[in-house]
Amino acid sequence: MIKDITIGQYFNGNSLLHRLDARMKIILTVIFIVSIFLCQNFWSLGLMLLFTLVTVTISRVPLKMVFKSIKPIAIIVVFTSLLNIFYIKGGTPVVDWKFIHITSNGLFTALFMALRIICLVVVSSMLTYTTTPTMLTDAIEKLLSPLKVFKVPVSTLAMMMTLALRFIPTLVDEIDRITNAQKARGANLDDGNFMQRIKALVPIIVPLFVSSIRRAIELADAMDCRCYTGGPGRTRMKQMKFCLRDFATLFVMVLFVAGIVVLNMYFGAVLVK
Amino acid sequence: MPILSANGVTHLYNKGTPSQSKAIYDINVDIEEGELVGIIGHTGSGKSTLVQHFNGLLKPENGQIIVDGKDIWKDKKSTREARFKVGLCFQYPEYQLFEETVYKDISFGPKNMGLKEEEIHKRVLLAAEYVGLKKELLEKSPFDLSGGEKRRAAIAGVIAMQPKVLILDEPTAGLDPKGRDRILEMIKSYRERTGSTVLLVSHSMEDVAKIATKVLVMNKGQVEMYGTVDEVYSHSVELRNIGLNVPQVSKVFEILKSNGMNLGSAYTVEKAAEIILSKGGASV
Ligand SMILES: Nc1ncnc2c1ncn2[C@@H]1O[C@H](COP(=O)(O)OP(=O)(O)OP(=O)(O)O)[C@@H](O)[C@H]1O
Ligand SMILES: [Mg+2]
Repeated sequence: MIKDITIGQYFNGNSLLHRLDARMKIILTVIFIVSIFLCQNFWSLGLMLLFTLVTVTISRVPLKMVFKSIKPIAIIVVFTSLLNIFYIKGGTPVVDWKFIHITSNGLFTALFMALRIICLVVVSSMLTYTTTPTMLTDAIEKLLSPLKVFKVPVSTLAMMMTLALRFIPTLVDEIDRITNAQKARGANLDDGNFMQRIKALVPIIVPLFVSSIRRAIELADAMDCRCYTGGPGRTRMKQMKFCLRDFATLFVMVLFVAGIVVLNMYFGAVLVK
Repeated sequence: MPILSANGVTHLYNKGTPSQSKAIYDINVDIEEGELVGIIGHTGSGKSTLVQHFNGLLKPENGQIIVDGKDIWKDKKSTREARFKVGLCFQYPEYQLFEETVYKDISFGPKNMGLKEEEIHKRVLLAAEYVGLKKELLEKSPFDLSGGEKRRAAIAGVIAMQPKVLILDEPTAGLDPKGRDRILEMIKSYRERTGSTVLLVSHSMEDVAKIATKVLVMNKGQVEMYGTVDEVYSHSVELRNIGLNVPQVSKVFEILKSNGMNLGSAYTVEKAAEIILSKGGASV
């Protein structure tokens, strides 16, 4: 049951997106997220949707998995849309019946917001689907390395992140084992009211903490034994290199942003002030 | 009537995913009341998977588990009953200790059974005595005990439920020879005193030979052999073929036999010494 949680939802593949440099993917994702909020009319919105669809197609990630990433935010999307529909005023009235007043501005804002959130989630999930957690942390470390000037311990933070990711499956196994052991002693985890259930977790959490701390100490010792000192001057086994395809994709992204800006200027905004 | 039986039990891990695998397959075995059954097998042969079926932690894909004449998956109540009738102690049980004191930790099981305070008290003291934990240790934090003491405290936590069947999954793993002998001694005397059935999963055929009355050999998820110690251990060629090593003394006896000195068979050092001493005068 607990194994169903997918963290670091990497989808193994060899598409163009998989082969892009992780740093570039992060940069591109950030640019895309910003440009999402630039869209002001249906033309630029359409361009954004097209871009998202193309990204998904190129990644070769099965649609089923893409939908899985949207599912958790469905409620948020519906909820914000409803709020927008009923509370945003301005523009031409669409429905005006008793206490219900719906305006064109409300409808459009709702539509724009919903599509923006969905595109945002889909494109950022493309990042995690096509990049292994280790690559991601490496890339984050590289991108944050200018902060070293301000004495931010970037490489230590990155190492912590890598270790945390590495130990998630181990912890999941550990939880399974401890849960089984306590169930064998008659622990009842499935019944009872809220407080009883919380209390029933104590026999699992305490051993989990104890063993995690033990594991952490052992790991620290092992790292010490191999003379790990962290800090500056460490080299990587896998060097990251930008190559032609990275710059080509960046160029496409620049074209996309330019397209959005041009469409916005040419067709004007859909929302009436 | 057997106290515990498995009828055609099959178990799949990760069912319905690409990594689905058959851990055990069509297991049929009857365990009579009062036996001490040693379960041996190569690593990955499905020993732990099988014993987790006996107390209902794992649900078989096919087949039935009958405890004390009742199918444990018939309804929810039967499953919970099986938890208490069959006490399962996992490998490295010391990692499941969590209470402030050893006493409280041992009483966790009995408390879950809904017993009265007095009864719990009696059971905790008795269980501590069975495993040889001194009384003054009961008020200590379980995290302050030595490794061997922790192990025995955890086993006491299962024994305190007074199960009809006690299952221990590699209870001697990671202990020194002395700690190992103590645990084995403890299991043996526990069984003799309570008359309960004990299943002992072990990698050491020597340990099993010391205390078991019957041996169950697992291989690749199936039962390879099931019989008395003598019946099973005499198939040393088959055992070696599935990656198991008969005890060293048995090998010595085999070599002696092939060189024309038939002393019969022995699976423990003590038994061997006995045989040699009894025959010593005549043949040397
Ligand atoms: N939680 C699990 N998920 C998936 N497969 C598992 C799981 N537990 C065990 N297996 C697989 O089932 C098979 C039997 O495992 P099991 O733990 O029962 O073996 P074992 O005989 O107890 O081995 P050992 O002597 O090493 O403890 C193995 O092939 C193992 O890889
Ligand atoms: Mg095992």
